[in-house]
Amino acid sequence: MGDIRQSLLPRDVLSAAKELLYHLDIYICNLVQSGRQPPQVDAKTLELVEEFILHAPKDRNAPARKMSALQELQLLEIMCSCFQEQSRDTVRQLMFSALFHIQGNQADESRMVLLGKLVSMAVAVGRVPILECAATWLQRTHRVYCVRLAQVLVDDYCSMVPGSVPTLQNIHSMSPRFCCQFITAVSTLYDLSSELVPPLELLQMIVSWIQEDPRLVLITFLNTPLSGSQPISSLDVTPLGSLVRWCVKAPLAYRNEKKQVLANRSADSEPDPRPLFSALHLSVLQVFMLLPNVLNEKGLFGRLALLQMESVAALTSDLSRLLDQADKHAHTSAAGAQVPPQLALDRLAQALQVAMASGALLCSREDLRPICSRLPHNNLLQLVLSGPVMYYNNIHTPPLAYSPHAAHSPIASHAPLPTRSPHTPLTSHAQYPAQPFMSGMPFAFRPGH
Amino acid sequence: MSVVFDGSPLKATQSSQSHTAQTQTGLSSQELSQEIKSFISGVDAAQGRKLSVREHARCAVRLLRSVPACREVVLEHLRGVYNEHVSAFLHSLETDGSSSSGGSSNLEDIIQEVHGVLSEFIGLNPRAWAPLVSAWAVDLLGQLSSKHAERRVAPHASSLNELLQLWMSCAATRSLMEAYSQCLAAMLAWCPDACVDALLDTSVKHSPHFDWVVAHIGSAFPGTIISRVLACGLKDYCSHGAKDQGLLGDKGSRVPKIGSVVGILGHLAAHHSESIRKELLRMFQESLTPSATLSSASSSASWESSPQLRRAAVPFLLQLAAMSPNLFGAVSAELVELLRPPVLLQLQALLQGLPREELDNLLGLAVHLISQSPSGGARVLRFLADTATPASVIISGPTPSPHEGVREGCDRLLQTLLLHLHKLVFNRSDGAEVSLLNPSSSQTQRVIPFLEELRSHVGQLCAETLRLERKRHLWLHQLLCLLSVYGGPSVATETLCQLLTQARNPEELALAWQLHTTLSSCMVGLIPAAVAHCVAQIHTHTLGPRQLRQLLLNLAAAIQSRDEEKGGAAGAQSSMAVQVGSAVSGHLHDFCSLLLHGDTAVSHAAVRLLSCSPLPRTSPPAHLLLLSRAAVTHFFLVLRRRGETGNVGRDGGQAAESVSCSVLLLSRLAAYSPLTLKAILQQLVEGALHRGNAHLFGGQIADMSGAPISSPSVSPDLGASLLDINCRFGTTVNFSGSIWSVFHGGVIGKGLKVRTDAQLLDPSVVTQNIQTLLAVIVQCCSSSGLNASRSPSDPDDPLPINAEAAKVVAVTLVENVCPDVANGELSWPPEEHARTTVERDIHIRRCFEAHPVLFPLLQVVAAGRPALCYCSAALRGLLATLLAHWEASREAAATDSPWHLQASCLLVCCMGEGQLLPPVLANVHEAFHLLTPFEVRLLLLAVWEYVRGNAPLPQKFAFSSEKGLFCRDFSRDGDVARYVAPIHSVLHKNIDRLGHLCWRFQL
Repeated sequence: MGDIRQSLLPRDVLSAAKELLYHLDIYICNLVQSGRQPPQVDAKTLELVEEFILHAPKDRNAPARKMSALQELQLLEIMCSCFQEQSRDTVRQLMFSALFHIQGNQADESRMVLLGKLVSMAVAVGRVPILECAATWLQRTHRVYCVRLAQVLVDDYCSMVPGSVPTLQNIHSMSPRFCCQFITAVSTLYDLSSELVPPLELLQMIVSWIQEDPRLVLITFLNTPLSGSQPISSLDVTPLGSLVRWCVKAPLAYRNEKKQVLANRSADSEPDPRPLFSALHLSVLQVFMLLPNVLNEKGLFGRLALLQMESVAALTSDLSRLLDQADKHAHTSAAGAQVPPQLALDRLAQALQVAMASGALLCSREDLRPICSRLPHNNLLQLVLSGPVMYYNNIHTPPLAYSPHAAHSPIASHAPLPTRSPHTPLTSHAQYPAQPFMSGMPFAFRPGH
Repeated sequence: MSVVFDGSPLKATQSSQSHTAQTQTGLSSQELSQEIKSFISGVDAAQGRKLSVREHARCAVRLLRSVPACREVVLEHLRGVYNEHVSAFLHSLETDGSSSSGGSSNLEDIIQEVHGVLSEFIGLNPRAWAPLVSAWAVDLLGQLSSKHAERRVAPHASSLNELLQLWMSCAATRSLMEAYSQCLAAMLAWCPDACVDALLDTSVKHSPHFDWVVAHIGSAFPGTIISRVLACGLKDYCSHGAKDQGLLGDKGSRVPKIGSVVGILGHLAAHHSESIRKELLRMFQESLTPSATLSSASSSASWESSPQLRRAAVPFLLQLAAMSPNLFGAVSAELVELLRPPVLLQLQALLQGLPREELDNLLGLAVHLISQSPSGGARVLRFLADTATPASVIISGPTPSPHEGVREGCDRLLQTLLLHLHKLVFNRSDGAEVSLLNPSSSQTQRVIPFLEELRSHVGQLCAETLRLERKRHLWLHQLLCLLSVYGGPSVATETLCQLLTQARNPEELALAWQLHTTLSSCMVGLIPAAVAHCVAQIHTHTLGPRQLRQLLLNLAAAIQSRDEEKGGAAGAQSSMAVQVGSAVSGHLHDFCSLLLHGDTAVSHAAVRLLSCSPLPRTSPPAHLLLLSRAAVTHFFLVLRRRGETGNVGRDGGQAAESVSCSVLLLSRLAAYSPLTLKAILQQLVEGALHRGNAHLFGGQIADMSGAPISSPSVSPDLGASLLDINCRFGTTVNFSGSIWSVFHGGVIGKGLKVRTDAQLLDPSVVTQNIQTLLAVIVQCCSSSGLNASRSPSDPDDPLPINAEAAKVVAVTLVENVCPDVANGELSWPPEEHARTTVERDIHIRRCFEAHPVLFPLLQVVAAGRPALCYCSAALRGLLATLLAHWEASREAAATDSPWHLQASCLLVCCMGEGQLLPPVLANVHEAFHLLTPFEVRLLLLAVWEYVRGNAPLPQKFAFSSEKGLFCRDFSRDGDVARYVAPIHSVLHKNIDRLGHLCWRFQL
């Protein structure tokens, strides 16, 4: 593969890229057919991709070749059809990762740009294979890059081109898997802090997706064999955690937002987002309700926390901070100021209750109490935390081993467990126990402007 | 548990929205991919034919609307479309719109469409689209305007307005411009820097073809563009540092940005100079405001918040000013106003932080700017001098105050400026010398705007220099020198002239001579030119009386300095005094009119100047006559003034000095040539007898005509009414000299008519005046040029009265005293014949009565023998009336008619002095006062008889060389004895009283 470089060099930019794609296709087909496990694209080929497709500057003195916008469009078009025409899924995946897998070098920037354009275009022209590949990419890549891709799509379809929201909406039908990953990425990106509020169109879209098919958010989880290839810092398996966060924080976030909106515009065109969050909350709860069955099917009930304790802790501390702020403002504002905080706490209580009940959150009330201790009083929350009877609607007793203390020594806690499945996903999963949720930290992938 | 859910209508809105969205997009993904394919290939995928430009563009617009990933390529493609349209548009202009107007209009609608889409997008989401579209539009505009700049119809880049008109009439560029304006309007809210940066960059790349864009945008958003452009320029300047630039900063890659800043502001200056000036000044002021006082309200993005940028602001502004005279001109005027002490302190604090070499750079830049500034130079100079002048020795203590630093800075700046100007001026004049060989290259002489402007402020500069403030006058004097050298003779003359006019004391005047000394090395004829210039100013009446006076005094002082310094070592000064003297002597006639200036101080100064000025070697008679007339008139004027003011006070002193100067002037003039001598004597005598001056010498104006004197206060305009004149008795016909004699002593019944109402002067004043007059006349007569060759044997002896001069006086006297020339012969008729001339004689007597000064004058004449002969008629007339008087007198003693007695005595005395009478007869007057009127008549009759017998003819006098006088040898005349008989009889008769006089009458 490396020897074709000399023949590519004299070509013009586009034909060199085309030819490389062609060779790459053949190469990967050969690779797959050779049956070597795992099929791996060698470094030389990756370098060629960087040089001739991504046009990363090879060395300082060589002027970087650059494609014109039209050439780039042509290349994208060729890629689209290339992926479309490739029938074998493995080859596609390999090719996609050869092109777009983040390598941690300086080509990554152009890689991301090209990927953004490719996916955006694939959404527009309905190239399902690309979306599928992208869904996989979103599973395997560091979340910083994932939210960048999501950002590109949101920018393109929700803000740049008016009236193109329906096109993005179509991804639900085109590739549910991509759609699910997209929701995860987007809900991670917009944490409802001051600047990162999702565009209304996006919110409507997500709500309508989940309303239509609550299982959508679980698709990645359902389709992914917990095969141990969950890389570090990738997105969560489901968007449930971040969606709960959305719902809980929304009353407070949008209360601030609303003031600005009222000040800025006459608030006529903009529909109220709060009903959307109510609907979303309902849908999320419904998804939680689905979980016991799903988990039971996979035999993971009580063993896999889809809603992680750390994210709950982060959420509550975040919430208490927000409520403190709200309190400060409440001194001056009217009596109705108490409604949003109570709504937020209600939602938190509901979500916790349902999550615990459905086995998404693996902890006891006692574990929750310290976490929620700083929150102001709320009847429902009080009830949830101190309820007389912990009610489980399934036959398994909650494993006591899942205490917060045990969460820090997962090996110790997992070891005595009887493993029912022949493979060992849990141990490998447990090596990456909990993604520390860094809501208190500055958000690394905040948009630049 | 209950789920909080309050969004029941949600689903309905959701579905309806998605529905409308579907219909709006209208293209399935399949169709979209087809579109992309046809867009890429340019071929209609369905029909397989090539797309027209228009269809292709439509396809692009559709992609823009539906495939977000394609926006860049679409915009790229649209560049081509716009370019196409511009080409077609220009082509149709070139072919007068005949051939391809269809094509361009075809594209025009697609451009409208694109514009519509873009502006819709920008309107919907400015944050996303405005940066994108603005960058695109600006870049495309730049490309288009420079690409098509060479077209035949495109006006030259310098004609900005035509360019603007052309491009704004083209749909493509207009649409781009509108889109950009829209973006800019949207972006100004949150990131104005970015779009202005893009504008600047493009401007740099496509200058000057792109200027019209900047000008248009700038005039659409003057406030923001100006401040933004400045801020961008400043940032750029700061980030590149000022290290790689020389004085003019025209090298290195960084210059284009500041260059384009200058260019843009230059364009905007045409219409928005006011706002530009405000912005520049604001920048300056805010860069000085300490950051602590800056309100936190100023956004963090603005340059004010960065101390580094604030520090760079002043150098940046200087640099800007250096690069654009326009901007500099706009700012310089007000900048000086801004530099109040607190601002200066801030500035100093700011500049203290800069490294030494940078400061030097700034200094050089500032000096360069000042020397190049076309206007406001005077103000700048005043400011610098004011600030740099140390306050006072007493105030400034040992510890330098903060002001001291500012002062030193200004001092240094001023010194450097002077040095710089010096270099410029003298290098320039080197060039001028070279250009003598090649006259055409004389235009290459460098113009120094600062000096150019100061040329009109020479007067002020001189005034300030003359204030002799410490240090300041040294600077200004140096500057004046430079200015004079720069401006050539005209400025040098002007300067010298100003100094001469404005100097008030010798120290100040010395500055003028210093200047002259400096300049004399490179200029010749400076002083004559300066004097000529002064004279011109006198003629044009541009000088006020005070200045005029000062000028004259200064000139006089200059001339006099020669006399004082004679023998001293001050060669330069004395040579200069000589030059001034000779220059002034050439213009004496110009100065002489000032003698009669209404302002006494001026005339005083003039007489001082004239009296000490040397006389020209040659001079036309007209000038001399003018001069002498003015001098004489002035003489009487100062006499009058002396009489009015008395001898007390400053005025009195001045008047006395004026008189002495005037006397000096007259005598020098008289000595100059026979012509002037005659003229002066004549005029002196006439003047002394003139009605207006008569009272100075104790005269009473006799009313000769016999008409009643109308009081001058009632009718100051004399003889205006013919009727009035006709009513007067005896005025219609002049009977005098005819056989008809009319006497008009008054109206019967009203007594004698009032003789005079003239106020009489103090006798001492009269005496002094007469003395002065006589002194002048005597001096004129004795020092005259007629006998100038003869030097007096004894310097103590007064020089003898010159006969010719005396003759002039005599003739003039006769002309004035005798009303006609009848009976004007020198020889005397028999006494009886006097009856025929009674009227004339009475006139003569009245003259003598009215003008006491006549007798002294007669004495002068008598001293200049034989001049008295020419007075024969007057003497005869007077003697005749005296005889008549004594004959008719019935008084007991001659002393009872004092005037007549005195007149008789004086007359006889004069005739004796004039040697019209032999000594025996001349002595008779000594007895008059002891005699009766009849006896006096007898004696006078004897005198008459003698003169009749021995006619008073000048021929009878002979020049005696040992005496240096003309003398008459009485022995040649007939026997005196027969005329002495009546004397002896009278002696005998009154021997008791006249015994002591007998010896006087011995033959």
